[in-house]
Amino acid sequence: MKRRAILAFMQDRPGVLQKVSMLIRKKMYNVDTLTVCRSRKPGVSRMTITLREDDEARVLQVIRQLEKFTEVISARELDTDHSYWREAAIVRLEIDPEQLDILKKDYTFEILDHKNHDCFFIQIAGSTRMIDAFVAQIGEEHIVEIARTGVAALEK
Amino acid sequence: MLTYRSPIVRLKTTPTNCEDKMTGKELLLRALKERGVRHIFGYTGGAIMPVFDSMDKMAHFNFIMSRNEQGATFMAQGVSRASLSTEDPQVGVCMATSGPGAMNLVTGVADAQMDSVAMVAITGQVATGVIATDAFQESDVVGVMMPICKQTYMPLQADEIERTVHEAFYVATTGRFGPVVLDIPKDIQNQPVAEGYQFNSAAYRPHLPGYFYHPTPAREPLKKAVELINRSERPVIFCGHGVINSNAGALLQSFAEKNRIPVAFTLHGLSAMPADHPLSLGMMGMHGTVEANRAIMNADLLISFGMRFDDRVTGKLNEYAKNADVIHVEIDASEIDKNVATSVAINADVYRTLHVLVNDPMLTSKPRRRWHASIAESRQVMAEDLQQEIAKGTGDDGKLLMKTIIKKLSELTEGRDLIVPDVGQHQMMSARFYNYQTPNSWFASGGAGTMGASLPMAVGVKLARPKERVWSISGDGGFQMNMQELGTIMEHKIDVKIILLNNGYLGMVRQWQTLFFDGRYAGTPMLSPDYGKIAAAYDIPYRKVEKLEQVAPALQEAIEHQGAIMLEFICDPSEVILPMIPAGGGFNDMIVKRPTPARKGGKK
Ligand SMILES: Cc1ncc(C[n+]2csc(CCOP(=O)(O)OP(=O)(O)O)c2C)c(N)n1
Ligand SMILES: [Mg+2]
Repeated sequence: MKRRAILAFMQDRPGVLQKVSMLIRKKMYNVDTLTVCRSRKPGVSRMTITLREDDEARVLQVIRQLEKFTEVISARELDTDHSYWREAAIVRLEIDPEQLDILKKDYTFEILDHKNHDCFFIQIAGSTRMIDAFVAQIGEEHIVEIARTGVAALEK
Repeated sequence: MLTYRSPIVRLKTTPTNCEDKMTGKELLLRALKERGVRHIFGYTGGAIMPVFDSMDKMAHFNFIMSRNEQGATFMAQGVSRASLSTEDPQVGVCMATSGPGAMNLVTGVADAQMDSVAMVAITGQVATGVIATDAFQESDVVGVMMPICKQTYMPLQADEIERTVHEAFYVATTGRFGPVVLDIPKDIQNQPVAEGYQFNSAAYRPHLPGYFYHPTPAREPLKKAVELINRSERPVIFCGHGVINSNAGALLQSFAEKNRIPVAFTLHGLSAMPADHPLSLGMMGMHGTVEANRAIMNADLLISFGMRFDDRVTGKLNEYAKNADVIHVEIDASEIDKNVATSVAINADVYRTLHVLVNDPMLTSKPRRRWHASIAESRQVMAEDLQQEIAKGTGDDGKLLMKTIIKKLSELTEGRDLIVPDVGQHQMMSARFYNYQTPNSWFASGGAGTMGASLPMAVGVKLARPKERVWSISGDGGFQMNMQELGTIMEHKIDVKIILLNNGYLGMVRQWQTLFFDGRYAGTPMLSPDYGKIAAAYDIPYRKVEKLEQVAPALQEAIEHQGAIMLEFICDPSEVILPMIPAGGGFNDMIVKRPTPARKGGKK
């Protein structure tokens, strides 16, 4: 199913997050990712929700019902062609330094910490697909733990 | 267009010296008073006692104690629904204590949300210091109410209360109406305001950057709508709740008359214009008339005002009005294109849209003779059967038919009274066979279909429209769900005429069992108490009517009687309300003929 990103600006009030997640649940979606941060405007939060849906009309319904919440100032869909979708991840790895070196050719990441010869903490940012590919290339067996932020998106 | 009273300018300045600093509860009550609230329905308890105490001292409100908090919600709804067409529209207010009191409000709040009824529900909450510790009678009221109301509030300082109440009323009564819930911790009720607190309700404007509604229709879609209307050969107007809620019935009628377009009504659109108007097709949908549903099926244009294409209206969506363009006038943008794709969307207030439309010089009136002829034909499909049935008045078992009773009531009152049905067969009979003449005279729980709504709702309706006659019409099932409210009727001497159509069954469900479950009546037969004794216990006059010839005299007696009276009619359980479009069926599946009695199975 097609991945959709909905960007919403809302008043930073208690209960808003609950309303949004309740709506997503009521509409029978499973949230793919959900990120919230402050916006440039004091008191206004910026939320990016990604979920899976092929039907355009249903996405529009979600957006309209989001906008109906008193606290939601605006909501719209972001498409991949006209916006950047990025994630960041922190990964704890157990891997030989040589092996990690090989990855440096294809990926840009930063080593946050390196101890006991094969234990690394690295940070990487990019598209979801890129991080997925990075993780796949390292191999699950080398990953001790991974923390991904979920999608943040910005229009071009 | 409906406008609620804005706050009155207060001359007295807020006291500033320490002793008489106002507290949260007093600010709450002051705000309610300024918003024109006269009746407060509710039930006290630990967490709301301070407010009740101040209310008593203030001696301004008419406090009405329901016998269960659910009753208070429907009484409040009755006030909101019935008063919106009067000079003095009021918002119904109900009040309950925390925990169980608040939880008893849930059904009525959800019901108000489904039916777009402005209502303010106020609950006491445990003190802020113990919130989220499972304190005695603590429930997460905001958490429970959030998905079933328009907005929830929990003020955490006395200083916030007035502003919150005014915002709550604003939100409840603007755009698409809805219930709001204020959950006020007990310590905040008692908290004095801070030094120098000031609030000027007259100057107050809510700061709601995320709350939009567009009362005025945009030009472009209106132009397109006019084009579609001019082009249409077979248009149908849909009259929904939005017509009632914006007091646009008369406008709708003249729009229909000018353009000779027939009008079909949703359950909540009933009484927006006279039911026997030549252009009226009556109710649409599951239990709608043949003429309404056939017209919709054959229409090339639906012009719908203030409605939401609920599944009881549309039946199977992919078969619904396939060849019709749809103009959808609706104040709630999220309803547009939700169930039915529109050709022209007008996201605006129904009254304002009609106001522009009705005078639009670009509209050309066409006689549309063939269209009206075909409608006249479908009016005949069931007419004779129905007339015969109504005239006969009794079923095979000799018991009374609900249709006949409602029809008689309609004749004796000339269709002028206020009707508050409960939920079930009798509700559909009341929708179909009462000849509504008074604007906004039909008050039903529709979207939620809450059994037990009628008796308490009738109380609120009577208080809002004291000079009109109010009939609460219930089945034996629904009546028993809230019959404790007879206590309220007794105590406050509320003049409601109570009709109980007793068929010994949960009739509407029984009808489904007859039609779709081979006549197996699982969980629908029901024994009733001796209603005569119950009425006597509440000191309410009571008549039991079993024979056809007693129907009119009993109704006439109720009409003439001053004060509450209860009439129990013994009805035929096998009576069905037709036509019927089975749930999930399309308009082609409409059942118009009474089925032959159940063949197999069936206990009774
Ligand atoms: C609170 C509630 N519970 C259950 C239902 C389901 N229901 C709808 S109509 C109906 C039967 C109503 O029976 P009664 O009040 O006797 O009215 P009748 O249909 O017999 O006229 C039932 C059980 C409901 N609408 N509301
Ligand atoms: Mg019954």
